[in-house]
Amino acid sequence: MTARPVPALGGSHDEGLARALAAIVGQRRVLERAGELRAYESDGLPGYQKRPSLAVFPGTREETIAVVRLLAERNVRFVPRGAGTGLSGGALADDVVLLGLHRLTRIISIDGDNARAVVEPGVVNATLSRAAAPYGLQYAPDPSSQTACTIGGNVAENAGGPHCLKYGVTLNHVLAVTAILPSGEIVELGNAAGEAEGYDLLGAFIGSEGCFGIALDVTVRLVRTPQAVHTLLADFSSVNAAAEAVSAIIASGIVPAALEMMDAATIQAVEASIYAAGYPTDAAAILLIEIDGAAAGLGEDAARVARFCTEAGARAVRAATDPADRARLWQGRKKAFGAMGRLAPHLVIQDAVVPRTRLPQVLAEIASIGRKHGVQVCNVFHAGDGNLHPNLPYDASDPEQSEHVHHAMKEIMEACIAAGGTITGEHGIGLDKIPYMDRLFSDETLAAMCALRSVFDPDQRSNPGKVVPIHSCREWHGAPSARQRPAWPTT
Amino acid sequence: MARRTIGTPATRVADDVIPDSAEGVAERVRDARGSRTSLRIVAAGQWLDAGRPCRAANELSLAALRGVTEYERGDFTITVRAATPLAEIDAVTAREGQWLALQPFGSADGTIGATIATASWGPLASAYGTPRDQLLGCEVVTGVGEIVHAGGRVVKNVAGFDLTRLMTGAWGTLGAITEVTMRLRARPEVDRTLAVVAEGGAEAFCSAAWQWLRASPLTPLAAELCSATLASRLGLERGALLLVRLGGNEAFVRAAEQSVASLGTTVEVDADVWARLRTLEPIGSTVIRLGALPSELGAVWSGASSVVERAGGWTHGTLERGVVRCVVPAGDGAEEHERIRGIIEQLHAPGSRVVERVPAPLWDSIAAPAGDRLSSAVRRTFDPDGVLNPGIMAPPLS
Repeated sequence: MTARPVPALGGSHDEGLARALAAIVGQRRVLERAGELRAYESDGLPGYQKRPSLAVFPGTREETIAVVRLLAERNVRFVPRGAGTGLSGGALADDVVLLGLHRLTRIISIDGDNARAVVEPGVVNATLSRAAAPYGLQYAPDPSSQTACTIGGNVAENAGGPHCLKYGVTLNHVLAVTAILPSGEIVELGNAAGEAEGYDLLGAFIGSEGCFGIALDVTVRLVRTPQAVHTLLADFSSVNAAAEAVSAIIASGIVPAALEMMDAATIQAVEASIYAAGYPTDAAAILLIEIDGAAAGLGEDAARVARFCTEAGARAVRAATDPADRARLWQGRKKAFGAMGRLAPHLVIQDAVVPRTRLPQVLAEIASIGRKHGVQVCNVFHAGDGNLHPNLPYDASDPEQSEHVHHAMKEIMEACIAAGGTITGEHGIGLDKIPYMDRLFSDETLAAMCALRSVFDPDQRSNPGKVVPIHSCREWHGAPSARQRPAWPTT
Repeated sequence: MARRTIGTPATRVADDVIPDSAEGVAERVRDARGSRTSLRIVAAGQWLDAGRPCRAANELSLAALRGVTEYERGDFTITVRAATPLAEIDAVTAREGQWLALQPFGSADGTIGATIATASWGPLASAYGTPRDQLLGCEVVTGVGEIVHAGGRVVKNVAGFDLTRLMTGAWGTLGAITEVTMRLRARPEVDRTLAVVAEGGAEAFCSAAWQWLRASPLTPLAAELCSATLASRLGLERGALLLVRLGGNEAFVRAAEQSVASLGTTVEVDADVWARLRTLEPIGSTVIRLGALPSELGAVWSGASSVVERAGGWTHGTLERGVVRCVVPAGDGAEEHERIRGIIEQLHAPGSRVVERVPAPLWDSIAAPAGDRLSSAVRRTFDPDGVLNPGIMAPPLS
């Protein structure tokens, strides 16, 4: 880049800032032109586009520290971003600086003796598991985007994945984080080699969606690669029967490594795509069930799980015959969102959680909401922990369709809240779920969240406008706010 | 043996009635804040003898907040009020073949609220983690007297910033916990305990045990090292040993038993050994926890055991967590306190040293700082006037 680009973004574009950042990271690692920034206008959630004022990509820990401190000195707002695979719009930068961390890809150490690893934030989730494999270990949280998403992003979102049913989410696997706060201060959270005393600030940091600072390194716990795995595919002629099988398995106390459900619309989309997994296309629902662990006793558990499926009305239960067969069954599940791309140009990927006992009722409600608004709903989700992903394929260029999808989404969220659930199990609030926060939490609770954010980032410069509605951030110790609660959108 | 209050607490119950709702607690906190006084949060009162220099003027009793609010059996979740004893939760869930897999050290008369507030855990943390891993949500009354609902009642939840984790282990200094929702587990079909006699020296045995635990697919529910004195107090007169709790179906447990036998001579032990281990320490004991990487725990355990056993105490270690708990029964008086101080000064570990209980006069000089600038800011945010449990955490959070 020899000539200075013409400022494309009006007032917020700051050439002096771009030059100062380039002095830290090199000219090639600062993007300013509209054309260059286009790739960073979206994350994994379609339907939102926000253009950063500029983007900067440090390559080392030192550069990252220098960039954050420069932004602090100049009081500049910024959005941290990993691989940009998030599904809540959390990594979108609306006319503020986008700070990309995907170049920090060093696995600093793997301690096989103690089953832990220290990594930089840009290390890809699946890369860490591959690196741990020679020690007989793996990193347990496995979001569907694991071949692209980064550990830093996983920490920011408290990411889950199918196997979190047995192994737990990111929170349960991170032992320590060295973080740089938006002020430039570096803090150690947690304890990599012993107990952490005092407040659980590590727990608060995990899942803070980039609002509390940036992880410079992350110490994670690794788990043993399972000795044996049984993967079962059960097919049902009704969603209700599949949901009942889920309840029976959970109630038995057997904790499968994963317990996933896909409905007919999803099965058909997958089978019509390059990810075809051999799912029965005439099934109303399938369950993909994996149980793993020690070989001893596992066969008995697998047989019991198969029996629960049959008793609930499964037409057939088959076991993966070999690792290749297992991989194929999983590919269909993990690429289901991609396969839905065939159905329509756009896709709303939803994320909500309900008590597992309410699955049959809520799934029926979701189907009826879809019918009412004339929109298709494809369900593919972590049934074992009640974590729903109702997905709505649609054409965003059609305003009428968009309107219907919009209303259906709101009613689905309302149904999940009414069933005693929550509005996100693993994708985060980001930008997408902010309108529902008021429905789920009281003014006092939202104000407490704002107050906590202010401890980490008093000026709210990091990932501004995300997670908690701005109107909730009243003076914490003052009189209750006179703010207007926005009216819940009605259909 | 249940812990109970020794001596007369320095605090007094305020004149009005004991609150029986979160609103009532909030009112008490606001009143205290308004009159510039402070409150010591008490439910069963079992931590009053931990030596913590809490300097509150009045007592905020949560004792009336007791009982199960909602038990969603099919979802393996339970919502209970803070002063519900662990024993009550255990009884209710046992009827459904479930349990709250925490079983922290101390009496089962202890409350769930105190367990969360102190982040207390026991040998089952080896398989199920500590309170932060099992708490799904909580209702708290902050130091400004506002009721906050953190988390939720479902098993997976990332909605908003994580106030739930923040309240866990905060000793009530960010808010008085009034209700919690916990994740439950199925009680194992077969639950068997073996004692493995430690042969060939504590350090080498610990190292072998950790290698087994790390590499074996037959993950136990608990694997707890016990020093010789502890083994004898538990009625297992065989010297230092490893207690292994195996849970699962019959085939799993049988295979695991065979695998454990590779570590040395094994003896089957009655399962109530775990209840005895939880409640063995006499009232007023000093308890220090030492932390290290699991691979380094052998050296820590061996060193600590020789110091503590010489002084009439004992140690036990949770391998998976890399923590050795040192217990020294202690009496009263300046001389006795100096003896305890001398013992504590010899206890070191590369990872962490947590003071759980010490005679009150020793607290200030022994407890390590419990926080940093950020933690102080959190405290000021949630309890700006220091109304709740002032002094209960070490500086600068006191």
